[in-house]
Amino acid sequence: MKQFGKILKFELKYYFKNKIFVGVTIFLVLAIAAVMFFPRITALFETDDTSDTSTELSVMLVKADEPAQADMVKQAFATAFTDYDVQITDESNDTIKDKITSGDAECAFVMTDATAYTYYVNNLSMYDMNTEIANEVLQQIYQMNAMIGGGMTAEQATNVMNIQITSEVESLGKNQMENYFYTYIMIMALYMVILLYGQMVATNVATEKSSRAMEVLITSAKPTSMMFGKVLASCLAGFIQLVAVFGSALIFYNLNKSYWGDNMIIDSIFNIPPELLVYMLVFFILGFLIYAFMFGAVGSTASKLEDINTSVMPITMLFIIAFFVVMFSMSSGDVDNTIMVVCSYIPFTSPMSMFTRIAMSTVPWYEIAISIAILVGSTVGIGVLSAKIYRVGVLMYGTTPKISNIIKAVWKA
Amino acid sequence: MILELKNIDKSFGEKEVLKGVSFTAEGGKAFGLLGRNGAGKTTSIRILMNVFPANSGEVLVDGKPIDYDKIGIGYLPEERGLYPKKIIIDQLTYFAELKGMSRKDAVKSIDYWLERLGMTEYRNKRLDTLSKGNQQKIQLITALAHDPDIVILDEPFSGLDPVNAMLLKDVVKEQIAKGKIVLFSSHQMSYIEEFCDSIAILNNGVVALHGDLHDIKRDYPRDRLVVRTENSDAIKADFGSACSITESGDLLIQLSSADEKKAVMTRLVENYDVDEVRVFEPSLNDIFVEYAGDAAKED
Repeated sequence: MKQFGKILKFELKYYFKNKIFVGVTIFLVLAIAAVMFFPRITALFETDDTSDTSTELSVMLVKADEPAQADMVKQAFATAFTDYDVQITDESNDTIKDKITSGDAECAFVMTDATAYTYYVNNLSMYDMNTEIANEVLQQIYQMNAMIGGGMTAEQATNVMNIQITSEVESLGKNQMENYFYTYIMIMALYMVILLYGQMVATNVATEKSSRAMEVLITSAKPTSMMFGKVLASCLAGFIQLVAVFGSALIFYNLNKSYWGDNMIIDSIFNIPPELLVYMLVFFILGFLIYAFMFGAVGSTASKLEDINTSVMPITMLFIIAFFVVMFSMSSGDVDNTIMVVCSYIPFTSPMSMFTRIAMSTVPWYEIAISIAILVGSTVGIGVLSAKIYRVGVLMYGTTPKISNIIKAVWKA
Repeated sequence: MILELKNIDKSFGEKEVLKGVSFTAEGGKAFGLLGRNGAGKTTSIRILMNVFPANSGEVLVDGKPIDYDKIGIGYLPEERGLYPKKIIIDQLTYFAELKGMSRKDAVKSIDYWLERLGMTEYRNKRLDTLSKGNQQKIQLITALAHDPDIVILDEPFSGLDPVNAMLLKDVVKEQIAKGKIVLFSSHQMSYIEEFCDSIAILNNGVVALHGDLHDIKRDYPRDRLVVRTENSDAIKADFGSACSITESGDLLIQLSSADEKKAVMTRLVENYDVDEVRVFEPSLNDIFVEYAGDAAKED
């Protein structure tokens, strides 16, 4: 136990003295700061801009054969396109085109009929919604005219057109929309952290082995202490990194809360229900540990650092498959499908799939309990097994041993 | 203190590495564990250090099973290596703490050893900035800093220059004088011969020879004489085919029996100008080749 503490401390120090680890953490915090301060910064520029640009709206030309129609369209467009200076023109189409290409006007609607037009614009932007808006406005004008023609008063017609539907949504289970984003963030964070830190644990073990520091280590400390010390240190380091990143996100968000307004996504992320946060922690830590143990065991069987990437492939693949099952189920909206239910009991997939189900659906407590119990049991089991593999693996040099040989050696040891 | 390995068997898979290995090492004396590559030396050491258990057999200290919490073991592995990217004092403290020392004691002891080995200036440097010989001295500190009862040195002299080898010899003698068990494993027979009072030669997982080095040498038939002289030609003419020349250039006379020894010695001293006459004792090298080499041929 004493050794375990010392190993944990030593390994943890390794992370905090590692320039890359510190650098990545600082970079992430800065990136989060940039995102969180973004609305405040843009607001700063916007207040400067509005006073200048208000006098110079871009020009939108409207041309129609009948002056009455032109007038009506102009008025309707002027209310619909507030950021344009809508003007009537009776120039020829060629002159209009020239004006647009020269930049005197931004765009033009040339009406060929009450329900048909040609839209002229210089460069059609991907986000140009003008035709959609125009279609709607023209449709309304046509419908109004038709209703008035049919004998309604203008007032009646306007009321019909502007009828509002009131509705209320009451979700009896979970609101998937609201939970989607933080579930997504948690799954992504788990994915990134496990792959990143798992690789780090494997590399760490393999480095000790290839530098032969292992020869001294294995005679000084128990393999179980070594394995658990290493893995828990990486878990702590990862956790501290996440707390730094998400903690700073929370602080920066609160500093800039007023600028974010009623952004539903951001709001839902920072308002995770406490009980879900606890589940998140539990699944995160267990999921991290079970994979980190496997990565550590694999690292101990590699003789050279170069072998690591191929050795960890099966674990990485297993993890990526679990990740995609969860991701597809999340985007399909049905998180309680058979695969997800099965996955939420398999220890390697349950951290992601059971958490997703808890967050986005309603899962009975006993199912959660069973899933966590299986996960805890297998994490301890994998931990002990990985320490055994570690003890055998670190003394095997030469070519990376076959899995069957390792199993045999572990069995006999 | 007496360390005893008793009937140790160990196999890895189908391969039997140790077959009933037994040997005894005493405190205050150096013990040489010899054997060709793959004879089972490292496996014996690892079992002794509890890296893995033996299939059968016991490791005893003073007749009782070894208690690893009480008996400290220091180990200089043949495959050298520590953390190349870490500060020397940091990693040395870590290893000493793993062996059960408090941080304060560890730093104190390490500073003593850095001073003793002339390495104080490298205390706060990274290991990979040091030369190979200096890295080896640092590694030696991991074996000694926690003041172990048993010191195991695997090829301690390889890679050291004569000055450093001298320094290491002094350190080893000091450890022996402190009453510790110093266990050597080496292929450099001259060093073993210089230090070790008793030896065990391992061959294919079996102890081929075990005992006090002096006794082993005395047990050889004392029927050869080494003669150091300036007029070897005359002696050669006198003794004929019984004469041969040793590697060092001395004369070697084969007697028909050990009983003849006194008569021949007198004859030599009386008739010729002789600097030295002594009974030939085989070198450890000869013994090693005889026990480890011959048995290997039987395979």
